Amino acid sequence: MANQSQDSMAILGKALWEENPVFRQILGICSALAVTNLMVNTAIMGLSLIFVTAMSGATVSALRKITPARIRMMVQVLIISFYVIVVDIVLKAHLPDISRALGPYVGLIITNCIIMGRCEGYARSNPVWPSLVDGAANGLGYALVLLGVAFIREVLGFGSVFGFTVMPAGFTRWTIMVMAPAAFFVLGTFLWVANTFAPAKEKK
Amino acid sequence: MKKRLFSIAFMFVITLVCTGILMGLSRMSAERIELARQARMQRLVLSVLDMPPAAGATDRDVSRRYDESVRKTEKDGRTIYLGLSPDRKSIAGYAFEVSGPGFWGPIHGMMGVSPDLGRVLGVAFYDHQETPGLGGRIDEPWFRRQFAGKLLAPGADGVFFHFVAPGMHERPTDVDAITGATETTRRLSRFLNTDITDTLQWLKTNKEALAAAPL
Repeated sequence: MANQSQDSMAILGKALWEENPVFRQILGICSALAVTNLMVNTAIMGLSLIFVTAMSGATVSALRKITPARIRMMVQVLIISFYVIVVDIVLKAHLPDISRALGPYVGLIITNCIIMGRCEGYARSNPVWPSLVDGAANGLGYALVLLGVAFIREVLGFGSVFGFTVMPAGFTRWTIMVMAPAAFFVLGTFLWVANTFAPAKEKK
Repeated sequence: MKKRLFSIAFMFVITLVCTGILMGLSRMSAERIELARQARMQRLVLSVLDMPPAAGATDRDVSRRYDESVRKTEKDGRTIYLGLSPDRKSIAGYAFEVSGPGFWGPIHGMMGVSPDLGRVLGVAFYDHQETPGLGGRIDEPWFRRQFAGKLLAPGADGVFFHFVAPGMHERPTDVDAITGATETTRRLSRFLNTDITDTLQWLKTNKEALAAAPL
């Protein structure tokens, strides 16, 4: 058990920093641009992605021994779509406002490269539990970066954090931060910083 | 050959299982989704008729209030919501749909007007694809609120609402535009004008018939 939790920690560390899907692999950027102008939307999107990546990883892993290799991609896409539709229905029924705000982006989680990447690159050849942890950790790595981007965009663009005003009354909103290009600027700056502090071994 | 058959069978079974679960889930949530959609429309109609539900009212409260004080009528292909006075004997306002092209996609809204068709009771935009934080601000309370109480009398150029820079009001028809969303407000002004002109005309000729129908 101790060994297992150590493994989980290692997976988590990799997903959050060393192999962070957004910083280090530049995956899942499309939704990073679209859903990061308000932190609430970003948080829900992040949670949805964590759920989908973790569950698809676990399911792909559970079926890994009986899935014929030649159709494994089809099976993975099917499993991913299944969980995304589950999320979509749950959001529509229980959080209609957020579901409307996220619009088509929930459905587009299906095409998020992170999920397919984890299924194909990890879950396919690892047991269920580590696959679940790996999926959740990568989802979390994605969510945290997006929340960082959203934090900067919301503070400067709306003067608020999670909808609570934090900037003084006379604050002029940075209109550009609300628009999609701002996500490029913020994310680009993040990548720059992240790469400057990249793990030393990679620099050799 | 055997391998191929197994692949097909495997895909078939897994698809069947997934779609089966999804169908069940979708059935289970359909009612809830429909109720939420209805409650949203009811809230909207109440708010543009200037009978806003109390803050924190649940969907059920809203639904009760709506059933008590709003009648929906459909005639000549239009849907008009009649707001009833507290004693439910007379009409306190009419609400109707206003919609048209926005900057990114269609904008749908609802407008309430006073029984004499002379003033705006309220406006709300509920479905649009405008840029969040820019054109998307048309659904914010400050933007909607400035329409309430406006006279329904077009200016000399036949336009009901002129969007001008905040603080530059001169005419009674002037309302604050949204900075950075010139196109959205320009289009808004255009379709509001067509829809209001059209609906007011229709309401004028059909007012009596609407009032005569059992409330």
